[in-house]
Amino acid sequence: MSAGHHVMRRRLDQTGAIALGLGLVIWTILPLYNMVMISLEAKEDVFASNIMPQAPTLDAFRTVFDEGFWLLANFWHQMGNSFFIGVAVTVIVLTIGSLTSFAIGRMRIRYGWLLSNAALTTYVIPASFLAIPFYGIMKRYGLDNNAWALIAAEVTFATPYAIFIFTQYGGSIPRELDEAARIDGASPPRIYWNIYLPLMAPALVAIGTYALLLSWNEYLYAFLLLSSDSTLTVPPGLGKFLNSDEAPWNYLMAAAIIYAIPPVAIYYTFRKHMSGGLTAGGVKG
Amino acid sequence: MNKMSRRTMIGSAGAAVASTLRPRKAKAAGTVTIWWNQGFYQAEDQALKDLVAEWEKATGNKVELSFLPVADVTAKIVSGMTMGDVPDLVYSDTGQNLIVPQAAWNDKLVDVSDVVATQQGEFLQAALDSARFHNNVTKKRDFYGVPVKGATLMEEVWRPMIEEAGYKDADIPKTQDAYFDFFQEVQKKLRAKGKRIYGLGYSMATKEADSGNLFHAFLEAYGGDGIVTLDGKLHADDPKVRQAAITALERLTGPFKAGFVPPGAINWGDVDNNNAFYAKQIVMTPNATISIAVAQMDKKDQYFKEIITQGVPNGNDGAPVASLLGVPLCFIIKGAKNVDGAKDFLKYFIQPSRLNNYLKQARGRWTPVMPSLIKSDPWWLDSADPHRPVAVRQALITPTVPWFQIRNPAYAEVNATQVWAQAEANITQHGMSAEKAADDALKQIKTIFEKYPVG
Repeated sequence: MSAGHHVMRRRLDQTGAIALGLGLVIWTILPLYNMVMISLEAKEDVFASNIMPQAPTLDAFRTVFDEGFWLLANFWHQMGNSFFIGVAVTVIVLTIGSLTSFAIGRMRIRYGWLLSNAALTTYVIPASFLAIPFYGIMKRYGLDNNAWALIAAEVTFATPYAIFIFTQYGGSIPRELDEAARIDGASPPRIYWNIYLPLMAPALVAIGTYALLLSWNEYLYAFLLLSSDSTLTVPPGLGKFLNSDEAPWNYLMAAAIIYAIPPVAIYYTFRKHMSGGLTAGGVKG
Repeated sequence: MNKMSRRTMIGSAGAAVASTLRPRKAKAAGTVTIWWNQGFYQAEDQALKDLVAEWEKATGNKVELSFLPVADVTAKIVSGMTMGDVPDLVYSDTGQNLIVPQAAWNDKLVDVSDVVATQQGEFLQAALDSARFHNNVTKKRDFYGVPVKGATLMEEVWRPMIEEAGYKDADIPKTQDAYFDFFQEVQKKLRAKGKRIYGLGYSMATKEADSGNLFHAFLEAYGGDGIVTLDGKLHADDPKVRQAAITALERLTGPFKAGFVPPGAINWGDVDNNNAFYAKQIVMTPNATISIAVAQMDKKDQYFKEIITQGVPNGNDGAPVASLLGVPLCFIIKGAKNVDGAKDFLKYFIQPSRLNNYLKQARGRWTPVMPSLIKSDPWWLDSADPHRPVAVRQALITPTVPWFQIRNPAYAEVNATQVWAQAEANITQHGMSAEKAADDALKQIKTIFEKYPVG
């Protein structure tokens, strides 16, 4: 094979890779672009086949901020509900998951491996199949139309995955750290708090983001378990737009963009810890 | 000590959990829980809230009112019925199609004949027929729903497009085949002018309701109403029914194959024909209500000048075709804790003047099902409005018949499994003949009906 032919082939490969990458980027970005475009259009222009907004306007965002449309009348209250539920689910999942993985991995409880593997088998049944039983359980215990019903459901779905990931990740943390601490007189809670948790930071951020997004975007369980305007979260609140043949899509898209901002901001705030966690501690010789 | 404190801690935690998981508190006496389909307009919801407040004041009862999107009402009702925990009263725009027929058949609904009786003389006969369902336990047909409002299939047309094609309103034919052929001619003329517009904008999708709505309107137009008679019996072997089904399938799929319907219509949801219409990609579209026009009420030019609302065309012989009247219902599920309160509210709600006020708040998107209302209130037939009187006349003055799923709940399953839309897909996507597609569909319908025998 001549050198020219080799260079030509390499260029072709590169062009192909770039074209494929570009295609994937467009495929991924297109729905987001469409969201932004619709949110910047006037209501009557939403279904015009324009590639760019003809007369961009921030009116839709203003309407969402002012709750100036009847289906957005409780938007900020619903945002508060979503935030409360998202944070509660995240904290509870991280607490249960990290404590369980600590007990299984570091305290070497008998048959601990069974617990982390058995937890995963709960995913064999799709969450949507459990909707009606959950609905019945929550009603029976007086938790209908109560934020804690949704929190309990979401914690149930997120925790097994958290336990599995934490157990796997925790296995990569050297046990010598625990032993050194124990020799220095540290109790298990102290080891958990001062050694285990800081070293688990990358996994905590990843699972925390997962748990937050799971509850933040939940629709099925939210509309099933919550009914009144005072308890509803944003996803079923926005779902009300789709009741009508003629939804104001620009308001809907503007509200969706605003709703997407907090989890993105939280993720980027904590992202640096994902790579920093493992190097934060260590055993010096 | 250590062990004791751990036990104490576990015990306390257990007690805390147990106290959280306490049994459901009994509701205050006189409280009525209502799940109501969210309206299209704020005023529609407000009208109900006002009515509820009036009733609370008049009776001293309390109402827990929740507005839910139509799909969510269905899911919540199914969940509630499965778990035996239901509200006292439900209203859903689609309940008469998706929930009531089967629930009445299985004896899961409360007989509301006493509520209907308070206004029985006021209701349109087709509305009364649409609220009576067969109960397979009592082996009787009784009222399991209270009629609230009605709607029949309407046709919406862009006037500027037919004018651009060189036609006037009066040129639109009045009979079935000529009517739908006309829009193919409009498309040809517009295409000749370089406009990429489709003449016909109807759904051919095997999902949601629109494709089924139009198929059944075609079935009626070609004489197939007898597929299920009012006594709930299926007549799939009737040659007239078979021929009507074949013709309906041919007349719907032919224009699609010839390029007069947007190719994407095979995947349209119920909202997509509205969107295509607003985007001016189609000249005409059928719709279950006049919502397409009503939604543009604030745009005076569109509402008063550009959008034409028409009823379904006459039959090919020139005689009017009976429209299938959709009648959304209020209903009470067995297990409701305050049946008396719910019935009392319903009796209050369906008094003609109150119902009239409520329906007007929906801007006439739905028609009344009490003929006296359109006589006593000139708003319904106001000739200054180009849309509402057309819908009102079709629902209350020209002949109407109840939907097939009211006649036998088996047909709700026929609709849910999209038997006829699938037959259309067999023709357009798999090259099947209309005869074979109709025969396969009728065979499938017979199998479904075997599960719902009526005496």
